Parts: sequence; C-alpha cells; structure tokens
Amino acid sequence: MMRISTKQSLLLAGTSLLAFSVAAGAPQDQTTPVQGLHHHNPNLIAFTNATLITEPGTQIENATLVIENGAIRSIERNNRAPSGARVIDASGYTIYPGFIDPYSNYGVEQPGRATNRGRSSAPVYSNQREGGNASNAAIHAEKNWVDTFKPDSSQARNYLQQGFTTVQSARLDGIFRGRATTVSLADTLPNTAVYQTRTQHFGSFDKGSSPQQYPQSLMGSIALIRQTLADASWYQDAAGKQASNGQVEFNAALAALQNLQRSGMVFHTTNEQNLLRAHQVFSQFEIPVTYVGSGFEYARLDDVKATGAALILPMSFPAAPELSDQFAELDVSLANLRHWERAPGNPAALANANVRFAFTMNGLEKPQDFWPNVRKAVQHGLSKDRALAALTTQAAEIAGVAEQSGKLAAGYRADLVISRGDLFADGEIVSVWTQGHENSFKPMHPVDFNGNWTVSGFAPAQGEAAFSVKVTASNRLQVELSADDKKVRASNARQDDEQLRFAVNLEEFGHQGVYRFSFKHQSQGQLSGTVQTAAGEVVTITALANDDNESSSAPSTANDRQAVSYISDLTYPNVAFGRDALPEQKNLHIRNATVWTADDQGVLENTDIIVRNGLIHRIGENLSTPRGYEVIDASGMHITPGIIDEHSHIAISQGVNEGTEAITAEVRIGDVVNPDDIHIYRSLAGGTTIAHLLHGSANPIGGQGQAIKLRWGANAEGLKFKETPPTIKMALGENVKQSNWGELYTVRYPQTRMGVAKLIQDAFQQAREYEAEHQAYERMSRAEKRRMAPPRRDYRMETLLQILKSERHTHVHSYVASEVLALMDVVEQQGFRIHTFTHILEGYKVAKEIAEHGARASSFADWWAFKIEAFDAIPQNACLMMEQGVHTSINSDSNDLQRRLNTEAAKSVRYCGMSENDALKMITLHPAEQLEIADYVGSITVGKHADLVFWNHHPLSAYAQVQQTWIEGRKYFDRQDDLAMRERVAAERTALIQKVLGAGEEAQQGHRNGFREEQPTWHCEDQFDVWNQWYSAEHAHGHSHHGFGGAH
Amino acid sequence: MKLKALLIGLGLVASAAHAHNLVPGAPQSGPILLQGGTIHTVTQGRLDSADLLFVDGKIVAVGENLQIPEGTTVIDIQGQHVYPGIIALDTTLGIIEIPAIRATVDTNEVGNFTPEVMAHHAFNADSEIIPTIRYNGVTHAQVVPQGPLVRGQSSLMKLDSWNWRDGIEASPNGMHVTWPRTGLNTSPWERRTPEQQRNTQQEQREQLQQLFATAKVYHEARESGAQTRVDQRWEAMRSLFKGEQKLFVHADDRRQIEQILAFNEAYGFELVIMGGRDAWMMADELAAADVSVVFGAAYGLPSRVDEAYDSAFSTPKLLADAGVNFAIAYPGFWDVRNLAFAAGNAVAYGLDYDQAIAAITYGPAQILGVADRLGSIEAGKQATFIVSSGDVLDHLGQDIQHMFIDGRAIDLSNRHWQLYQKYQERIVE
Repeated sequence: MMRISTKQSLLLAGTSLLAFSVAAGAPQDQTTPVQGLHHHNPNLIAFTNATLITEPGTQIENATLVIENGAIRSIERNNRAPSGARVIDASGYTIYPGFIDPYSNYGVEQPGRATNRGRSSAPVYSNQREGGNASNAAIHAEKNWVDTFKPDSSQARNYLQQGFTTVQSARLDGIFRGRATTVSLADTLPNTAVYQTRTQHFGSFDKGSSPQQYPQSLMGSIALIRQTLADASWYQDAAGKQASNGQVEFNAALAALQNLQRSGMVFHTTNEQNLLRAHQVFSQFEIPVTYVGSGFEYARLDDVKATGAALILPMSFPAAPELSDQFAELDVSLANLRHWERAPGNPAALANANVRFAFTMNGLEKPQDFWPNVRKAVQHGLSKDRALAALTTQAAEIAGVAEQSGKLAAGYRADLVISRGDLFADGEIVSVWTQGHENSFKPMHPVDFNGNWTVSGFAPAQGEAAFSVKVTASNRLQVELSADDKKVRASNARQDDEQLRFAVNLEEFGHQGVYRFSFKHQSQGQLSGTVQTAAGEVVTITALANDDNESSSAPSTANDRQAVSYISDLTYPNVAFGRDALPEQKNLHIRNATVWTADDQGVLENTDIIVRNGLIHRIGENLSTPRGYEVIDASGMHITPGIIDEHSHIAISQGVNEGTEAITAEVRIGDVVNPDDIHIYRSLAGGTTIAHLLHGSANPIGGQGQAIKLRWGANAEGLKFKETPPTIKMALGENVKQSNWGELYTVRYPQTRMGVAKLIQDAFQQAREYEAEHQAYERMSRAEKRRMAPPRRDYRMETLLQILKSERHTHVHSYVASEVLALMDVVEQQGFRIHTFTHILEGYKVAKEIAEHGARASSFADWWAFKIEAFDAIPQNACLMMEQGVHTSINSDSNDLQRRLNTEAAKSVRYCGMSENDALKMITLHPAEQLEIADYVGSITVGKHADLVFWNHHPLSAYAQVQQTWIEGRKYFDRQDDLAMRERVAAERTALIQKVLGAGEEAQQGHRNGFREEQPTWHCEDQFDVWNQWYSAEHAHGHSHHGFGGAH
Repeated sequence: MKLKALLIGLGLVASAAHAHNLVPGAPQSGPILLQGGTIHTVTQGRLDSADLLFVDGKIVAVGENLQIPEGTTVIDIQGQHVYPGIIALDTTLGIIEIPAIRATVDTNEVGNFTPEVMAHHAFNADSEIIPTIRYNGVTHAQVVPQGPLVRGQSSLMKLDSWNWRDGIEASPNGMHVTWPRTGLNTSPWERRTPEQQRNTQQEQREQLQQLFATAKVYHEARESGAQTRVDQRWEAMRSLFKGEQKLFVHADDRRQIEQILAFNEAYGFELVIMGGRDAWMMADELAAADVSVVFGAAYGLPSRVDEAYDSAFSTPKLLADAGVNFAIAYPGFWDVRNLAFAAGNAVAYGLDYDQAIAAITYGPAQILGVADRLGSIEAGKQATFIVSSGDVLDHLGQDIQHMFIDGRAIDLSNRHWQLYQKYQERIVE
C-alpha cells in the first residue's frame, strides 16, 4: 500500500496543500488494515455566503453549503454553519456542481497505434486468439475498464483545472471498445474513486490499434458492427447449446454485448454523416446510443435531431485556415471558411433544436482552450443554463451518475467547482473539490496590489515628491516606481505569501544601488512593508492607495453577449454551390423541343412534353397548357432522358474498397453515401441524373452497390434511388489476384484466374448450404430447438444467397475473354446468371457467349493499354457486342467522364458507325435495364420519371452544352442559375477571407486540423486503409494529367 | 450500322497485317491533287470547294482552278475537310507502352536533375499505341521525359517512321522542368503538416535556383575556357543559355506560374508554361509577358472544389480573349487520340472554331519552332495534313480518310481496327 503511505507523508508535510490535508479524512480506506496511528481528521466543512448554482437554472444567494465525508450534507438558506464545521467564507464566490466529462480515457491503459502498415509490410488477416476474444482485433467488447482503472493525478489535473470532477472512462481504441466506468478524479484509491462500476459500452468506426486488415474502410467497419450486433443476439439464444458443427463456442466479446440494449453505447463520430450512419445501424438493433459529436452537426441539424439521441460535444473549434500569404486562399474551400465561422455556433444550434448534449474535453488540443471555447459557444447564442447542463445534469445522465453527481443537493457527492465570477462570462475557477477534498488553483481571497500607491517612510534622495508605486497585473505582474517625472521599472516583481516583492535600481532618484521592497496589506487601501537598502539597512514603510484606484479585479464585460452574426451561408450540402433548399417540384409544359426519347419513338421534332407530379404525362405536338402549369419554351433545344451511369465511385465516404478479405459481400456502399460530394453537382451539369455507386474491384466478391439520383442538396437517404433492386460488385483478373500489390501480397487466395473461378464457386456453394442449415433448423420441433442452437445469421452468406436467387444483381468487373467464360461456367453450375459485366473490355471476343448467357455489358468507350489485361481493348467493343445482341451501356468509372457520357457514347458513332439512337440508349435506356429500373427511367416515355436534360445542340455532339437538368420535375441544374451562383460563391469567399484576415491572430486560435477530412476521388483499384491511413493504387493509367481523373 | 461503308471509305486497311507490321508510308512518288474539299488553312482562312496540290512532299498550291502537272493523282474529296496534321504536345507516346508493366516504361530517369536525357532515345517507332493515335488525325507528337524537377529534353516526332532517327521532326526541342508544387496537399493520406509541406516546397525551389545558377556558371566557364572537364548534365543545360532550346516549365497553380515568371526575369529564357490550369486567372499577365501556354486540361475537372464546373472547359476561350499565345494538349499516351475532341469541347465552351483548330495545329507548331514548315496549309510548307469526311473536332464528324506526312500516304490501320475486323469474322461465322 505504497499509495497510502505517500498520502500520509503529504499530510505530515502540511505545506501549501493545507486545505487538501484537512479534508483528507474522507472514507477512502475501508478495507485496508491501518499501519500506525489511526487518522480522524475533521471533515465537516461549511461554505458560507455563497452563490449556489444547485442545478442549471437554479441559483441560491447567500446560502451555506455543508459537506461531510465526501458528500453534500445540506444546503442552508439561513447562512449559518453547523457547529464544529470548518467554515470557508465564500462570499463573492459561486459554487457549481463538479463537472462531468462522459467521454474520457482517464486512468486506463493507452493503446499502441498500429504501425503504418501498407504494401511494405505483410498483411495480417486474423486476430491473435486468447481467452474467448473476438475474431476481429478491433473488438474489445469483453473489456470492463473498471478492472484496470487506476487514478492518475497528472492526467486528472488537466480535467480538474477546467472544473471537472468526474469522468466516464474507457480505452478509446477500436470499434467495440469495452465497457466504460464512471469515476471521480480524486487522488484516492481506485476503490473509492469508482462512482459507477460498469456504464456504457464505448465504440467507434476506427479499428484503432488493430493490425488486422479487415476492416479497412468505413463501410467495412459498419458491416462489422452490424454482424457483431447480430452475433450478440444470436449468442444469447445459442450459448450453451449444440450447433450443427459442435457445441457453441465460448465468446467473451459476444457475451459482454448481451445487455447492450440496456447499458447503451457511447459512439464516437468524426462528422455528422458518420453520426447518421452509425444511427442507421444501431437503431436497427434498438441500441440506445449517445454520439460523440464532431462540431458539424449544425450542417444537417434536422437529421441529427431526428435521431433523438443525446450527444457529447468536443469543445474544440477550428483555427482559421492560413491565409496571410498572397493567394493562399487557393488552397482553402468555402466549406472550411464557413465552418471556421460557424463551428462555435454548433452547440447553440443543437440547443435551439432541443437536442440534449454534454461537453467533453476529448478532441481538444490544449485543455486550457476548454473554457474560452465554452464562452465562445455562449457568445454564439448558447444559453448559460444549457451550457451548465452540458457540464452537469446532461453529462451525469450519460455517465450513469445522475443520482449522485451533477447537482448540489443533499446526498450528492461533494464534487464542487468554486469560481470567482460567472464562469460562462469571465469568471475563473479558484478551486475544485473532489469528494470533499480541495484542489486549489488560486487563492480564494487574493490580496490585490493592483493600482497606484504613494509611499511614505522612504523618499527619493532628490526632489520633493514621494515615491509612487504603480502595480499592474494583467498578464504579468509589473511594478513601476516613480517620483516627479522619473519612472523606473522594477525587476523581479512577484507576489507570493500574500506579499508584493520587487527590486529597483534607485540611482535615478539619487540613491545608490538596488533596493528591495516588500509590502503586505495592512488595511483597506493601506499597505505596510519594508525596504532593504543597497547597504542592507531595513526601513519600515507604508503605502496609501491613490483615490483613482479601481475596485479590485474589475470584471470586464466586453465579451459578454455580443450578438454574433454570420456572413457565411448555410446550404445543403454546406459547400460551395450547395442549395438553400431542395428545388420545388413543378408541373411543366415543355414546348417545341427536339425530343430524343431513347425508346422506340426515336427523335421527335417540334414536340411538347407535359410533366405532372414528377412524371412524364404526355408527349405530342402542339399540346395545350393545362391550367397552372409552367411553360418552358424549348425551341432550338434538344431534350434527352437523364443520363444513367452504371459504374460510378462518386459520393462515397472513406474508402471504395473493402479490399481485405477475398469476399466481403456484406459491406454496403449504401452505408457510406456522401451527399456532400461536389461531383454530384458537376455530373448534373453534364446531364447525368442517376449514378450506380459501386464497390471497388479489389476482391472477387466485393460489396453491395447503391444507385442514387443526383438530388443535389438531399441527404444520403434522399439521394438513394430506392426503387432499384439490390446489386453487388464482383471482380475478376489482375486486381483481385493482387497482381500489382507488391511482393508481400501473394498469400491471399486467389492469386490466379484459376483460383478466382474456384473461390467464387465455393462461395456460392457455401451460401446454398447456409440456407439448407437455416431451413433444417426451421423444421425442428420445439424440443429440438431448446437443445439446438439456431444457425448464426451471416450477412455475407445472406448476400450471396440473394445473388443465387437472382434477388441481387451482379455487376462484374471483368476484362479478358477467359475469365468471363470461366465465371459464366461457374455460375451456370450454381444455377444463376451474371446480370451485367462491367468494363468487359474483351466482351467483343465472347459477345455471342455473353448473349447466350443472358448478361448485359457496360464498357468504357475507349480506354485501353493501361495494363496487360487492357491491351486488347478496342473502341469498337460496344458496336460488336450490340450487334450480337448484348445490351451494352457506356459507363464512366470516373468523376470526370461522368460529366460527359454523351460524347463517350458518341465515340461508338465515331469508331464503328453505331446509330445515334443506339448510342444514346447506351447511356440512358440500357444502363436503366442493367439496374432493372427501366420501368421508371431511361427514356422519355409516358409514365416514366421526368428526368430530363436540355441541351443547346445535338446531344451527342462535341458542341453540346447542358442548359438544364431535371429530376422528377425538379430543376437541379440550370446553367443561368449556375452563372449567378458563381458570383455568390466568389463574394462569400471574399467576405470570409477578409473576416479571417481581419481577425488576425485571434483567427488562428483553435484546432489546427479542425476541418472535415477531404474525400478523394476514388478509383476501382484504390486501396486505402482509412483507419491506418495508408494508401496504394496503381495510378499509371495515363490519366494523371487530369489530376483528378482516373481509371477502373 | 454503317460498318461496311466505313471499310470502303478508309480504303487503306484492306490488308490484314498486324499493327506492328504496318509499313511506313513511302516517299511521295508523283504529284497529288486533293480536289473540291473544304480546306482549313489555319493561316489563310477556310477555303470551300478548293483544291490542294502537293509534289515531292511539299505543298505547291492551294485554291481553285489550279494548274495540274502531268501525271498528277487526283483524289476527289468533295464534301470533306482538309486540316493540317494535328500536333500533340506533352505526350509520352513511344516511351511507354503499358504502365502496369515496368519493363515497358521509359519515362522517368533516376534523380531529380536529368537534363541530359533525350526522349527520342527511347522512342519506339513500332509502339502499338502510335497507329491508334494517327487514326484520330494526329501526325506529330512532342515526346517528353517525365520527372520531379529537371526532367530532360523533348523531341517532336513524326508518328510514322521506321525508327526514331527518321521519325525526328525537330530534336531536341525543349528543356523540361517540373516546377515545385505550391499549395497544399489536402488528401487524407498526406501526413505532413501545411508547414512541413511549405518547407519542402521552399527547399525544392531553392534547389532549382541553385541548379540554374550552377548551370550558368558552368556555361560561362566553358565559354571562357576555364572549365575543361565535361559534365553531361551541365553541358545539356547550356542549350538554354545559348538560346538553342526553349524552357518548358510544367506548372498548373497560379502561384507556381508567378514564381516562374519572376525566376525567368533573371534568365530571359524563351518560356512555355505546360499544363497551365490556373492560366485563366492571369491571362492578361501572361499575354503581356508574351509567355506561351500549352493548356493541358481541356477536359479537366475544376482544380478546386469551389471552382465553376466548367473552369477548365472555358479556359481556352479566356486565353484566346486575352491574346495569350496558347495551344491545347492532351498529355498522356493512349488517350492522346482525344486531342481533337478536347479542342471541340473548348468550342462548346466559347472558343472560336478556327482558334480551336489552330490550338492543335499552328499553335503547337509555333511553340515548337516549326511553324515555318508545319501547322498550316500554305504553298511551300510540308505536305502534312489530314482529310476528314466531317468536322474533325466533333465525334459525330471526325472520320479520317487520308493522312499525309511529308507527302507520304499514311496507313491508318491499327491494332484496334484489326481486332475489330478479326472479330467481325466471328459474327459472319
């Protein structure tokens, strides 16, 4: 018990920690045998004349707060202290309940960070197994962090100085991080510090120190969470029973997650999109979650509010981007400028939306920024009561200690914050009490020497005037001695032991040498002291305050409630070219256009279209305008259906590939749709209205696809084209056999096209057997079911089963003839057909076989030569496939080409004389068929969605420019509006840049990396471990000059 | 489909030879007259229903009612268009075949200071890619070494030759420098802080300054005889100081371009900016400084998230309006065949049609110092031109029927056309 003896020696030392030692008799020591004398320090304490903020919104003046044995005994309004109490005069002071940080890693062992892995170190595919842990190294659910909790006084000090007395703590590492504990920051035995042994589970998307490959992407993390939650629920039913392949295993992680619905989860997010993504998963399993926010919640406030979840907000705001160099703004986005301006308003915005939240110190670069940032949030409109609630009652709820912490009330913990002044304006914390112990940071009734004093008892050797002493203590204590018009700055001025001391060279005043002064307060406005002359003589002196002295510590009210106004816009998404609101749906009469129907009607000249309720209602010549319809004169315009891209990687967050395991059918692009991607808007400007977002091509069975309509401004859910049947990406060839991944990546099966075929065959075989197992269980009697464990729900297998049953359509990245034939063989044996081959560069060689198989094809117009499997690609591929009955589309696989698929389709007119109508179908009707959405979109046909593009020229010509793009009767792009928006963006940028520059140094205070992580352009073969941040891709496709363009 | 019609139109591809067996065009043996086409002379305007006579590889006359020498082959091109051969700038044609296969990549030499290397030394005249580029009307390409700082020297190559030696049109014709990056990399995998990035950029700029300062000292010491030992690298740099080569600086960011202009005040090299994404922001300044720009992103995405969606598309128009001497390039290798379409896209975003044609013919010729013989259709110039049945800038029009380089008729077949033919046989089966 070294710890105890250390404390005892502190007690004996009795130095400046006097207050601490007096209170140290708290019951911290109930089971440990006492060595030596028994200590019984008095521990009844009364704070008198205090202003008590007992809870947010409740303030009691001139009250007495009585604490004893680490708890609040009573609050007395009569301002009398009980007899025998140590009385602390708190007149002029405010006492708050101790603050609670519900998201901390205090007192737990810190994880190592996985070393930056990548292609230079061998891949790790499995976890070290010990004691029933999970198969994935990012899951630590079985950890109870109370088990290893140890108080840590130096870490505690960072919290205590800001007024925190209590934290909810766990190791912040991995996806399921284990169960937190809520503890006091008191420097005491861990046994005494624990307030709530096991509280919420902590979690995040970040796999942290896990060296394991899976998951490398956000969608992989989400899939792992989903599978783990399902497993936990399965384990509840299955544990202790017999499974078809033996006794159900012991799994400590799953066992620990059994009561997650009751204990709840604190889940860390890095932006509001990830908050919403997490909510999608957890709400499906009815897990109550408190989200650690990011400061971006205001950008999608309604969606965040709709989760109904409470938040924990880091009090961290970004420093402004560096703009002092000329044209430095070229590196700065409007989105970041906006966030710099509005981030401090996030808590106020959430409060106004009635979202509950607590504050955390987590995420702050410097602890001392905490209070300036809280005050900034208050200046930006957060009420002081809400701010206090975020530190006390709300935080106590989240940390599971609402019955003992967060209020000043009898029976609550004696965890207190004592401040001079209003903490939410300009007050300062003088001491923080934990379990009735004082942690003193500033003297409670400081002696204040500030002001001008006239000295008597010692005078200048020359002249008539007395010495004047001017003391200022703004940042640094400064003392100036003057007489007549001479002034000398004192050196070594300091204030300690309630004395002011300084030394001055008095030669200027006719004395020889340096004299040392010492003053202390005698009475109001009078100091007494001594001066030690250069000769060592001591002279007694006094000093009287001059009349002009201000009363001590005049509070400045400068920064109190100055209404903050914003010059930035808040748009959806909150980036340049974002919208104020979604466009209105209109009923339209479009007149006199050249209509490219992309169906059997072909091209219709001088034709009208009536759009009603978002659908194409009529097509014909000289139609009359229904009442209330908006008329658009489209004379000279060409109108086509909205362009549909079968293969896109725009609008995806944090990784396009879960390129770790060979089969990752459980991951979903739909989980990570990014509605903020500017390429949504740019593609609209190129006439594209639907994009099929695909997983990359790093594994034979990749992830599930997601079709979106480019409804710029909508949230992720609003973008999804929900009528689209489920899809999945598969891949063959060089990428999946890791041909270009380096020498260390040669262990994953498959490494050959032979293995690819067999791996896929095996996967579907297993899916069949999975189904059989489930069916067998369903057939069991009730008695058998009591004995037998249900089969585990496996999302990977479930997805494969959907493919087998043709409920989920395959889009297969493929290049060469051999692999295409092999795959068709394999799946025909399994009883299903490939839906669409994508890229399919050698499709022309096996077009007959593809047609017989019944598959469709989606290809590049003209890419080739970037790798050996693309060396036989030809720009006549689409013609040859179409001619042999394969319905072919042209895709982009690129955020550049997605803006100009019209001329990509025109390349088949150029290289092999395809008819213009067929070429148009390749980017409208055929991709619609490939996504099985042709009943809704893909042609200008009565009854289909009014997804229309207005062109100023023949739509397949190099000279065509999109004028307007409509989706379901809503105008999402208009070139004229765009020209106006550019002006608006430029003006807003200029104003914000000036605001940053005008704010000078102040703008640079804050988090240095406080902006949203930029999402790169994703390519099919991009391998990016978003958690360990290593990146690899074969970027040698001859596209580098586009800077952002890319390939397959 | 109009496949058969196309086959007949080409008339050059009847042989089933493999692409690498394509035979370079033979020297012109007799006078040839192209009769009745629309001739885009570039320098003399557009002539409708005009004739073009060329003899011994040189243009003799352009216009109506030309005097036709005895033995002239007359080719009827009514309804078709004649353009100067397209000149592709800033390519790696012939020095890269398949990027994923390292053995086929000859673009980057070791180190960041390799002024001595010459692109044509690695130029593979039998590249499978080159004939596919000709198919879209490109007759010449500037082949450029790649690299991080001082890359080496480029050459202008004819895209039809037995080997690089007879393929050279002008060589060496430019020293290429990659200007150190300015601005910040903000991708999620960039681990350096902005400060570290700026420091690195500063170091690179200082290194570049130092290299040029040393090169100048070396050059002067060689001139005066003080330096007798030969260093291949410094020796190569002398061509700049002697005024024998232009300095091509690859740079996109306006801050880079400003730094380059300031840098060159001390040297006064003839300067060409390659890439020039931000050139639109400083078009007047570039025009005033008389600096040429080879714009490399006619199909580019906006450089920055806040830029207008068409900022790259409309750059050529802005450069033209400001009077900047510019050309349009499509840097790359296989995809250089899209160069004419990229110029067409610039027309869609405001560039005058004739200026767009000039930006891929006469403009490049001027920048490479070969405008005296290439880039326009005028009497006395090389008989290097293409005949397209429709508008060469538009996918719907471009259809190259004839290509002549120095009067030699060029085979327009290529690997793609041959595979296309081969697999049509399977349909017939």
